[in-house]
Amino acid sequence: MNGEIIAFCCEHSAYVAADAAGKQGLHCPENLRIIRVPCAGRVDIIHILKAMEEGAAAVLVLGCEDGLCQHLTGNIRARERVNYSEMLLKEVGIDGRRVAMFNLAANAPHKFIQAVNEMNERMKELGEGK
Amino acid sequence: MQVKMGIFLCDCGGSLKNIDFPRIGGNLENLEDVAFVDISHNLCLGEGKKAMTSRILTENINRVVIAACSPEFCEGDFAVLLEKLRLNPNLLSLANIREQCSWAHEGDVSAKALALVMMAVDRARLLEPVETKEVAVKNEVLVVGGGFCGMKVSLELSQLGIRTTLMERESTLGGQIRELEGFYGPQREAMIKAVEKAETIEIITSAEVTGVEGKIGDFTVRIKKGKKKILRTFGAIVFATGYKTEVAAGDFPIKPGVNIISQQRLAQLLQAPTPEAKPETIGFIFDLFDENSRFPTLATLNGALAVKQRWGSEVYVFCKNVKVDSEGVEKLYREAREQGVVFFKFDEKPTISADDDRVKIEAKDVLLGEDVTLTCNLVVAEEKFLPSEGTEGLSSLLKIKTDSRGFYQEENVNIYPVSSERKGIFFIGNCRGDLGLGRVLTDIFSVVSRIRELLSPGVVEEVDRVKVDSQKCVACLTCIRVCPHSAAQLVQIDSEKVAADISQLACDRCGICAAVCPAKAIKFEGYSDEQILAQIEAIGAL
Repeated sequence: MNGEIIAFCCEHSAYVAADAAGKQGLHCPENLRIIRVPCAGRVDIIHILKAMEEGAAAVLVLGCEDGLCQHLTGNIRARERVNYSEMLLKEVGIDGRRVAMFNLAANAPHKFIQAVNEMNERMKELGEGK
Repeated sequence: MQVKMGIFLCDCGGSLKNIDFPRIGGNLENLEDVAFVDISHNLCLGEGKKAMTSRILTENINRVVIAACSPEFCEGDFAVLLEKLRLNPNLLSLANIREQCSWAHEGDVSAKALALVMMAVDRARLLEPVETKEVAVKNEVLVVGGGFCGMKVSLELSQLGIRTTLMERESTLGGQIRELEGFYGPQREAMIKAVEKAETIEIITSAEVTGVEGKIGDFTVRIKKGKKKILRTFGAIVFATGYKTEVAAGDFPIKPGVNIISQQRLAQLLQAPTPEAKPETIGFIFDLFDENSRFPTLATLNGALAVKQRWGSEVYVFCKNVKVDSEGVEKLYREAREQGVVFFKFDEKPTISADDDRVKIEAKDVLLGEDVTLTCNLVVAEEKFLPSEGTEGLSSLLKIKTDSRGFYQEENVNIYPVSSERKGIFFIGNCRGDLGLGRVLTDIFSVVSRIRELLSPGVVEEVDRVKVDSQKCVACLTCIRVCPHSAAQLVQIDSEKVAADISQLACDRCGICAAVCPAKAIKFEGYSDEQILAQIEAIGAL
């Protein structure tokens, strides 16, 4: 692995937004790897930590906007888990900013690109960004 | 069973020029378990599908990996194809190399495309077949609430030949349309008669729901009618429990009473024989609490017009804005203006004071830029639009969330408008907020089509995707607590062991339970921990 950003994308919002970004020719950094999940609430701490262990530069969890989760609480749970993993990473000496959660809607490809770019900028600062 | 995988790469009619397909194919061919790698130009078209079909049959593979466009487009199509070939549709793993690879980047992206296919390959290895069975649904609907919405839905459903039970808390049908002035007047009795006459509608009055168990297609509902308890089963449930309006005593400086009355009280006065001393000047006031409410606008316009016609009084309306976005309201507003109703727009809350038997309203009109003082005989005050009595109890009984104002259905685009987080339970009309007549009618027709869609095949598909390992389960109830769709419950496994069980029909496949289970006893096939971790490891291995 060399500096990939692993993004867990909710299939109701972020995954569709990623598709739309491609369709509209909005380019994002090539080191992005998307893993499709049925809801951001499916993402567990172990998935985030495994990604870091495997050498990912950053992990993104992308879910629906607040209050608009199809499963009502999925995005809220995801954010809690992201916060918790940040804390765990800090404990083992990894910068917590390498993990982040963003909320976006299916019709917001620009927000998707923004999220990935922001993460990529952070990685440049923290190392391993491209 | 030994995994035997076939990989199909699609270059989308040769348009994905920044991916070197032969090179990727070469890299993939030598992987373990891979029987063949095919490069196609158009997998989604007849020709491509035909070639794919014969290849799957001759090579006798048991896992299919397809690298093509987004699964949003092609997943369903390929799943159907696999099903036709007697291959379980869950044994399909897709790599999105068009939208999220070729189109998303400039320059040669072969390396990324290869990584995406490798992720799909490693996931495919761990896929297991998912069983699907058909479960019969009960072709009968319960409609709770005998107001306009409930009656209209029952009538529409009866025209489609779907048996309906219409339940009403009061002793008579009609609900709020008995009280409302204007819109429904003449049709009201005709509507009640039509409902009573319809053969497929059974009416239970003076009854309340005390329990709902089961799942879509087969709900067991406990109904309490007086001291009698009734147990019935239904395929779907529609709640049209409506709203109530209220003038809170503390909201006005003077107590509502003779000179300051509610809109509902005005409607009652208008329906009664004309009083001898007609009020000469009447002031209407709304927008004091909630700027979004359409209901007070409609009630005010209807009331103002009726007052003009029947009592001939002078009518003044104080508000922030006249909301004319519901059907027919713009027309009503124009009519009111033509009849001589005067509208004042305020920005700051007007002061209301009582002086003997007259009420004084002082406001600053934003258009005139001047202070307006009106002394009138009668003030009709805005009512707060609130969920009907018992909404809170019912929502906790059903395990359905309400919004900050206590109505069902937050404006969540995913379950909006009429469905709820529990499949087969619908909410329509003003029990989910202040909608206005146009949107209420839209609700009615959308719920009728949803119910028809649901009940007319006679069966629903039950996909056995989320499983609980009863040996690992420690019955900690976490999944039951977190499931947003009320799909998890406890079941007795044997004489000693109790374990959680996920009802596949109620489940909406979010995987929250699989993520929170402390014992890792819940497996969500297709998105299991192993399958997600395999994809991460595939990225790590490159």
